[in-house]
Amino acid sequence: MVGASLSKWTMSYFAAALLALIAAEGLMVAGFGFPNAPIRGPETLVLVHLVAIGWLSMLMLGALFQFVPVLVARPLHSNRLPLPSLVLILSGLAALLLGFLQMGGYLALPHSCFPAASALLGAGVSLALWNLGRTLWAARPLPISARFVTVGLASIAVTALLGILFALTLGGVVSHPALLAIASQGVPVHAIVGLGGWLTFTAMGVSYRLLAMFMLAPELDGASTRAAFHFGAVALALVIFGGVGLILLGGHLAFALAAAGTLGLVCVAIYWTDMVHLYRARKRRVIELNSRMAGFALISLGLAATLALAANILGVLPRLAGAVAFLTAFGWLSGLGLAMLYKIVAFITWLECYGPVLGKMPTPRVQDLVVERRALPWFMIYFVAVWSGTVALLIEQATVFRVSAGAMTIATVGLCIQFMHTRRLDHVLTLTSLPESGRPRLLMSAT
Amino acid sequence: MVSNFVDLDVRPALRAGEEPFGLIMAAVASLQEGEGLRLIASFKPVPLLHVLGSKGFSHEMTELDGGDWEVRFTREGAADAVEVADAGAPAESTWPEPSRSLDNRDLDPPEPMVRILAAIEEMQDGEVLSALLCREPVFLFPELAKRGHKWQGALSQDGGTYRILIRVGAGREAA
Repeated sequence: MVGASLSKWTMSYFAAALLALIAAEGLMVAGFGFPNAPIRGPETLVLVHLVAIGWLSMLMLGALFQFVPVLVARPLHSNRLPLPSLVLILSGLAALLLGFLQMGGYLALPHSCFPAASALLGAGVSLALWNLGRTLWAARPLPISARFVTVGLASIAVTALLGILFALTLGGVVSHPALLAIASQGVPVHAIVGLGGWLTFTAMGVSYRLLAMFMLAPELDGASTRAAFHFGAVALALVIFGGVGLILLGGHLAFALAAAGTLGLVCVAIYWTDMVHLYRARKRRVIELNSRMAGFALISLGLAATLALAANILGVLPRLAGAVAFLTAFGWLSGLGLAMLYKIVAFITWLECYGPVLGKMPTPRVQDLVVERRALPWFMIYFVAVWSGTVALLIEQATVFRVSAGAMTIATVGLCIQFMHTRRLDHVLTLTSLPESGRPRLLMSAT
Repeated sequence: MVSNFVDLDVRPALRAGEEPFGLIMAAVASLQEGEGLRLIASFKPVPLLHVLGSKGFSHEMTELDGGDWEVRFTREGAADAVEVADAGAPAESTWPEPSRSLDNRDLDPPEPMVRILAAIEEMQDGEVLSALLCREPVFLFPELAKRGHKWQGALSQDGGTYRILIRVGAGREAA
C-alpha cells in the first residue's frame, strides 16, 4: 500500500528528547560544563552528548520515523523496530554519560562504561538506520528532500563510528596506531559531521518539505536546491574522507576543514535564500505559530554562519567555537525542533483521534488542539534567552550565561506543558467532547 | 488559477418562474481565461453540477442563510495535462465519469483530506469523486483503504497539481 500511517513510537522519542533537553539546560544553569569547565573536559562532554544524542538525535529520529514516509509516500519499513532502537540508544547514552563521569573522577566503578556504551549506541543507531534505509531504498528514485535525509543518515553512521572508536580508545580496548591517531585528532570531524551532517543537513531536507506544506508554498526542487545539496554533500565528503585521510597521512586537518567550511557556508547561504523564497512565495498569508517560530531558527542559522565566518577571518574561531556551536545547537536546531514539535504533536494527535471518523461526524480542526497565544510567550523567551546566552559566551560572562540558560529552561518547560495539553486534547475539550476512542496515550500512537 | 469570479444570481429568475439554465450556460460561455462563475440559487443545483462537471468544471458549494446556495465553478484547466496513472488500484477502464469534483488546491492541510472524506461519505457505492490537490495526499491513502474505497491518482507534469479519482466502496465490492 502507498501512503503514510502514524508512527507508533514517535511520541516516546519526543518525550525522551524533551526530558534530555530540560536535563541539559538544568546542567547549564548549575554551571556544569562549558563555559565553567574546559570545552573538551568530561563535564562538557556529558552536556554535549546529552544535547546531541539525548535531545537532538532522539527528536530527529522520532520525526524521521514519521516523516520519511511522508517524504517518499511509502510506509515505514517497520513500525516495531523504533522501540528497541529507542531502548538501546537511551541505555547507550546513559552508559556513555557514566563513562564521562568516570573519566572526570565523579564515579568509581570497577569497569569502564565505554565499551558497553559503544555496543548499545552502535546497535541502536544501526537498527534505526536499517529501518529508515530500507524505507528510502524501496522508494528510489528519491525526491530532493529525501536525498538530504539520506546524506544525513550517512553522516550519523560516520559520527557514530568515530564516537565508538573514541569510546573504545578511552575504554582501553583499541591500541592500533592508525586508530589511535584518528581517535586523538578526529574530534573536530566527529563534531562537524554530527552537527553539520546528521543534524543540520537532515533538518534542511525535512524543512524544505514541511515548511512548503505548512505555508502552501510551491515545492522547491530547482537548480538552487540541488546546488545546496551538492555543496553540502561535497563539504561533508571533504570533512570525512579528506579529514581522516590527512590524519592518517600526518597532514594538517585544518586544510580539509577550511575547504569544507567554505563549501558548507555556500550550502547554508543557498538554503537560506531558498527558505526566504518559500516564505515569500507562500499562498497562505497568515501563517501558523510553528512557521513563524521556524523563522527565528532560520535567523539563528544565519547568525551562526555569519559568526563562524567573521571569527575565522579575524582568526579567533578556536576561541569562539563554543559560542558558534551553542547558537547552532540551541538557536537553529533546537529552535526549529521546538517550533516543528508544536505542529507535529498537534497533527499526529489529531490524525490519531479524529482520522477514523473524518467525514462521518463533525471533527475539530488541527488548530483547535493548540492555543497559539499561550505558546507564543514561551517561544519568545526561549529565542531571546538563546541569543543572550550566545552573547554571554562571546564576552565570556559565565553568570549571564547561566541566567540565560535559566530562562531557556523555564521556556522549555512552558512549551512542554503546552505539548502535553495538546496531546491530552485539553484545548479541544473546551469546544467539543472527547472522541469515541477517548484520550490518546501520551507516549504511544494507536496505529 | 482563477483570479476573479463572474456573479450570476438566478433567484429572481426562479422566483419569476423562469428556467435559468439558458442564463447559466450563456454566462459560462462568456467566461474569459482564468475566470470562474459564482452562482447564487435558491436550491442545490445538482443536475447543473453534472452538466458543468462534464464540461470540465469543478465546484465548491456553500449554503447561505435562508436555504440559498452559492456555488463557485472553476475550470479544471491545470488538470487537463494530468495523466492519470495507476496508483492505489489496478487500472479499471470501466470507472464511471466523476459525479462530484472538488478543487482543494488552495486549502490548508489537512483540510483537503477532510473535505474528500466528507464528500465520499455522502456518495453512493460505485460513484466516482474527482479532486485536485496541491500535493500527494499521503495520509489520505491508508484511510481510503481502511474504508474500502479504491483510488487512482497522478501528479501533473509540472508537479503543481495532484489529481485523484476515488471510486466509492470499490474495495468492499472486490473483497
